[in-house]
Amino acid sequence: MAPEGQQREGRGYLRRTHGPMGIAAGPPEAPPPLPLAAQGITVEIGGAQILGGADLELKEGELVAVVGPNGAGKSTLVRAVSGLQKTSGGSISWWGKELGSLRGRDLARLRAFVPQRMPVPAGVTVREAVTIGRSSHLRPLGRMTGSDREAVGAAIARAGVERFGERALTTLSGGELQRVQIAIGLAQETPVLIADEPTSQLDLGATVGVAGLLRSLVGDGLTVLLVVHDLALALAVADTVVVVSGGRTVAAGPPAEVLTPERLAEVWGADARLSEDGGRTGLHVAWVPEAAMGTGASS
Amino acid sequence: MRRLLGLALVLAALCLPATSQAAAPERVVALTPFAANTLAKLGVTPIGIGETLGGNERFSPKLKGVPTLPLSHPNGPNLEQLASMDPDLVFSSRTWAKGNQAMQRLGIDVVLLDPRSIREALADTFEIGTIVGRRQYSRDLVRSMRKQIAAASKGIAKHPKVMLILGVGRTPFAFLPNSWGGDIVTKAGGELLTAGVSSGSGFERISDEVVVAEDPDVIVAVPHANADDIPSLTEYLRNNPAWASTTAAKSGRVYVSVDNSLLQAGTDIASTIRKVRRLYLEN
Amino acid sequence: MARRSLVFAALLVALALATVASLALGAVRIPASEVIDILLGKGGGGPNQQIVESLRLPRTVEALVIGAALGIAGAILQGALANPLASPDVIGVTGGAGFGAILIIILFPGSIALLPIGALFFGLLAATLVFAFAWSGRNRGSAGKVILAGIAMLSLFTAGTTGLLAAYPERAPSAIFFIAGGLTSSGWEEMETIWPYFAVGFVFAAVLIRPLDRLALGDDVAASLGSRPQLIRLGAGVAAALLAAASAAIAGLLGFLGLVVPHVVRMAGGSSSNTFVVPASALGGAALLAAGDTLARTLRAPIEMPVGPFMVVLGVPLFLWLLRKAV
Repeated sequence: MAPEGQQREGRGYLRRTHGPMGIAAGPPEAPPPLPLAAQGITVEIGGAQILGGADLELKEGELVAVVGPNGAGKSTLVRAVSGLQKTSGGSISWWGKELGSLRGRDLARLRAFVPQRMPVPAGVTVREAVTIGRSSHLRPLGRMTGSDREAVGAAIARAGVERFGERALTTLSGGELQRVQIAIGLAQETPVLIADEPTSQLDLGATVGVAGLLRSLVGDGLTVLLVVHDLALALAVADTVVVVSGGRTVAAGPPAEVLTPERLAEVWGADARLSEDGGRTGLHVAWVPEAAMGTGASS
Repeated sequence: MRRLLGLALVLAALCLPATSQAAAPERVVALTPFAANTLAKLGVTPIGIGETLGGNERFSPKLKGVPTLPLSHPNGPNLEQLASMDPDLVFSSRTWAKGNQAMQRLGIDVVLLDPRSIREALADTFEIGTIVGRRQYSRDLVRSMRKQIAAASKGIAKHPKVMLILGVGRTPFAFLPNSWGGDIVTKAGGELLTAGVSSGSGFERISDEVVVAEDPDVIVAVPHANADDIPSLTEYLRNNPAWASTTAAKSGRVYVSVDNSLLQAGTDIASTIRKVRRLYLEN
Repeated sequence: MARRSLVFAALLVALALATVASLALGAVRIPASEVIDILLGKGGGGPNQQIVESLRLPRTVEALVIGAALGIAGAILQGALANPLASPDVIGVTGGAGFGAILIIILFPGSIALLPIGALFFGLLAATLVFAFAWSGRNRGSAGKVILAGIAMLSLFTAGTTGLLAAYPERAPSAIFFIAGGLTSSGWEEMETIWPYFAVGFVFAAVLIRPLDRLALGDDVAASLGSRPQLIRLGAGVAAALLAAASAAIAGLLGFLGLVVPHVVRMAGGSSSNTFVVPASALGGAALLAAGDTLARTLRAPIEMPVGPFMVVLGVPLFLWLLRKAV
């Protein structure tokens, strides 16, 4: 279920990120460039074609969830548009600029990528890690300014990890670590935040926390791109769902329209149905097909 | 009483053969140049002599044609090669400790001789002679060698301070008094810079500070190198900044010796002493 | 933060003490007042001035520079390869440098003046080969490939070195000192030739500190921040190779420093942040080498012993004590 309207109540530290690199929006008649427009992406890894023409688009201020079966190429697609994975074909542009033409530092001001699980170095505190996330704003041998320190503090607060700001990363639980990873991404202060399966390894409570955090970031005005496994979660948080299967984009649109039982059967090969009931979403699955054979109705 | 005397005579007669010399070994191998050249001097031709790769051993012309055994760590000679020569006795060195053990297990007699001073060299010369059945001859030989050495070290006018070093590079080892070269130089009238220092090996790295403070008059280097390397090595040593202030460096009295005469005990001790006096010490 | 500042202060004190000891002590007894006079330019000529100016001073400077260089090399390699066992040995530099030096000592003794150049050349050659192999084929530039290629190259050159030593045993003593590692009192000569390599290595390492911190959070986060992980690893390898090869050219094979000093510093300061570890390793390495060298040349004066064992004797107890306290 889509949230009620796009509420742009963004305040606080995100106010400054309005408009990337001061690029003018262009004449009033021309539509503003999309944060991300990617078409026909093909990726080959080790001789195997992982993506054979996938598309992805981001509109400002929305949360897009990329879903699909294992090995479909979801992560590869998201990494490719983020500039972390080489492509063999297709076009990718960020705010109208070709990905290939953007230098590393410039791209780092446009999007922050939060990996599924980063290595946890010993002897590094949460604050130090988030400070590293800020380094894209610093000159190679430049010092941190007061505003940089503020931004780090704001990112830590926003991600809700203030309580363990001075603790070592190695002492954190999975859910806490995931929030810290998001804080590192927030310190980059970009209009777009990308997270690769941020909840796949978290328990229920931690997942609820992170889901809420990501949704509230959209409320602040951020654009968020997620890869998720959990279809009920996608239904709950996403404005747009993109289904990737067999290396191609097979559907994109509002979750309720895209994640139909027919789609679930076609792409995942499962007899299932998503439902929504008073703020909760659920996935109903006929786990043992023989039992469901012949019955069309479900309770 | 007469019976007792007779018994004593019989006993003495039985003991006599034990005290007379055992039969001299016929097939002798000499692994060190000292042993090889000493045998040559004694008129005994070994059936094999040892030669190290890259070493600069000088052998007596009398040993021409004697089969050579290449020596390498840790055994020294190739044991199969040695065994095929069927030697009775091998004159070896402590360097080849493993090989010596193996030779003994093969039933070969091994005699270790590592003379590190003139006195030891003379004693070892006598011992070699005794072992190969040339005792009287070797006694005379040692006597004449002593005379020659005395003559060679006569009339020493000056006692320059000498630093004798082994090896190349900026980390040479200095010869101590209890090394062969150190003994030769001392006998030739030089005063070793390292006088008073001793260690098991006879060589040590000496601090350059001490070199500067002691200020040697002569520096002699004995590197493991070839004769045509001498000019460049001399140049290199003369330019060692650490020694620039010494009398030796300032007066250009820095010498390089690549033959083994200072490195290993030789049989031409007197002529070595004379050479050292003439070339290096100028006394 | 307070703990790190404390560690820094302690390192500076240790460095100062080691430097003073290195200048004031030696095989020849020179009263401290005279040493100070000479350093201030008021020496009266004579052997003591010669000793302090041409022997002790350059040697102290060498110890500080080389100690810092090896400490930094170890720190940036451990950061770049994310492996606590990384050290300059692992990228093949020390093996190559050793081979180059032994080659000259044993086969070309007449060209002994070229020893530092030979060590430098082969050290850098070995590192270049390691990077070339690690960057070829699949998984280019991954830490695992670098380490494996480095071990292979180290084995190759060590075998060459051992072969030479075995074939020419009488020439071995000259080589042994180089292998054991040690400084020599040869004035400013060697440093004058080799200093550019140190300078470039130091600057390069400084520039790499922040990128290495990014790399610590993983290749993905580093890429997100605009860095190229493979390039950072390559850069760290190059900087470490320069520093280690230059060090080996002058001081032979000093293996202990680059591996252990960064760990000691990390455990003492409780932080792996490269902005702390890299400079602290420089200070710690300099102090350790200067102290070890002073001991090596004063304990059995006038005999000079190789410095390696003394660094181990000084460093290992501290390392083990910190290890016990750490988790």
